[in-house]
Parts: sequence; structure tokens; C-alpha cells
Amino acid sequence: MSMREYFIKYKKAFTLIGLLLVISPIFGVYLASLIGYHEPLDIAASMLGLNETTEEINWTPLLDYTVPGLPDWLGYIVSGVIGVLVVLVLAFVFLKLTRL
Amino acid sequence: MHIPDGYLDPLTCAVTYLISLAVGFYAFKKAKHAPEETKALLPVLAAAIFVAQMLNWPIPGGTSLHLVGGALASILVGPWLAYLAMALVLLTQALIFHDGGITTLGANILNMGVVAVFTGYFVYRLAPEKYKVIASFLAGWLSITLAGIVCGVELGLSSSFLYGLGITVPVMGGWHAVLGVVEGAITAGVYAYLKARHPTLIKG
Repeated sequence: MSMREYFIKYKKAFTLIGLLLVISPIFGVYLASLIGYHEPLDIAASMLGLNETTEEINWTPLLDYTVPGLPDWLGYIVSGVIGVLVVLVLAFVFLKLTRL
Repeated sequence: MHIPDGYLDPLTCAVTYLISLAVGFYAFKKAKHAPEETKALLPVLAAAIFVAQMLNWPIPGGTSLHLVGGALASILVGPWLAYLAMALVLLTQALIFHDGGITTLGANILNMGVVAVFTGYFVYRLAPEKYKVIASFLAGWLSITLAGIVCGVELGLSSSFLYGLGITVPVMGGWHAVLGVVEGAITAGVYAYLKARHPTLIKG
């Protein structure tokens, strides 16, 4: 099945994925900045005094779903589109491998 | 519950990598023999989980969560393909966005791709046919609670304090038992919708 046929077959799902991408900054940027994104994992780690080294060893310009030069909300959407495409390509490559 | 680089000690990183790779190797063999129709769901499912994980829900009381999706994935495509969908999502998040560390990728796959996936799968499968919607709620809830506890164990074992586990396991387990209700509700909602409208998509 070609990529095009695949998108047509799962048109409804991909439409939903597209819609969620467009509204994702409301959740990932706006609401997160309102209360500060704070997971239980961060609470447990700070109780133990564990230190994150993400910033020191970072390799990606798209850190935390931002794109350099773009406002956060747009960077979040662009990051989401890039992420979806990478996931899809990896999954298609993987499926090819399972058919060898 | 994506563990960033720096939280886990080298031994915990190595052991969790080994376990996740071993499951991955087996999942790959299983995927080879899975029906084409089920395999075909892998890309769209992984893409949907990736996007769902970008939606962070603030929770009153000052914490937040996003859907993990491991239980839902296993109900839809079975545990082996669900593992693969979660692993692809976690790999992309780590490599492209540094969301979840590279040293901790094995642990993150273990928590969300193995513990959450298989917990959700067994809860769903063990339930009688007429209770499948309730079972999918419990599958989502327990998948997050247990994944949180295992995550707490990994953090606790990595701490240099003897009392580490005594702190991390109750904190992670307790919080995720509460937050897991949201995962359960979304899992049951999506499951009920798909079962009513697109029953052929449920192959778990």
C-alpha cells in the first residue's frame, strides 16, 4: 500500500490527528504555562535531590517541542507535525522489516 | 512519566535497556507473523499516540499529566504491536525532542511500553465480554498506576539513599493511582466509541 492509499484508508483518524495537532498548543503551551507543567515524577525526583541533565547534554534544536525563531504555540504545532511524520516513517520502515 | 537523562544510575539504565530490548526482540518476531490487517494499524496508532501525548492536562492541585496510551494500544492491536507502537513513539520523543532521556529510554520503554501495555492487556482480556467497557477503564487506570510504581522503583534504586524506595514508590504510586483515572476514562471512552462505530479496529 502506498503512503497515499494509507492516508485515504485511515482518513478519519488522520483528520483527527491533524485537528489535535492544531489545538495542541492550548494544552501543551497555554494551559501548561498557566500552572507550570509539573508531573509526579518531578515531585519524586526533587524529594530525592535527583538532577536532570537534559540541558547539559542536549543535542536537538527542537528541545521540548520548540522551534528556534518561532513563537512557542507555532513551534509546538510544527514540532507535532515533524514528530508525526518521523513516527510514521519509522513505523513504515519497521513494517517493511517485518516482511523481509 | 518520561524519565529525563540524569535521574537514573548507570546500572538501572543498563538493566532496563536489556529488558526492553529483549521484549523488543520478541515483539519483532511476533510482529512478523501478525495478520497484515493488524500490522497496518501500527503507523496510524503510533502517530495518534504521539499526538495524544502532546496534550497536557493540568490537574487541580498543581500537577499535570498526558495520556500514555499503552492500555488502549494493547486493546486495539494486542500487546506485541502495542509495545512496538509505544517504543516508536518514545524513540521519536527522545531523539527529536529530548522528551525522555537517551540513557533512560530503556526504562521509559519498560514502564510505558511493557508494564503499561501488558497490564492493560491482561485486565482487558480477563474480563467477561459484557464488562469490556468497564474493563477498559480499569485497564487504563491500572496500567498507569503500575507503570508509576515501577518508575518509582527505578528512581528509588538509583538514589544514593537507602530510603529512596520508601519515598519514590508511595509518591509515584499514589499520584498515578489518582491520575490514572483520567487514563482509564479516555481508554474506556475511545474503546466504547470504536467498538460501537468501528468494531473491526479492535483486534487485541
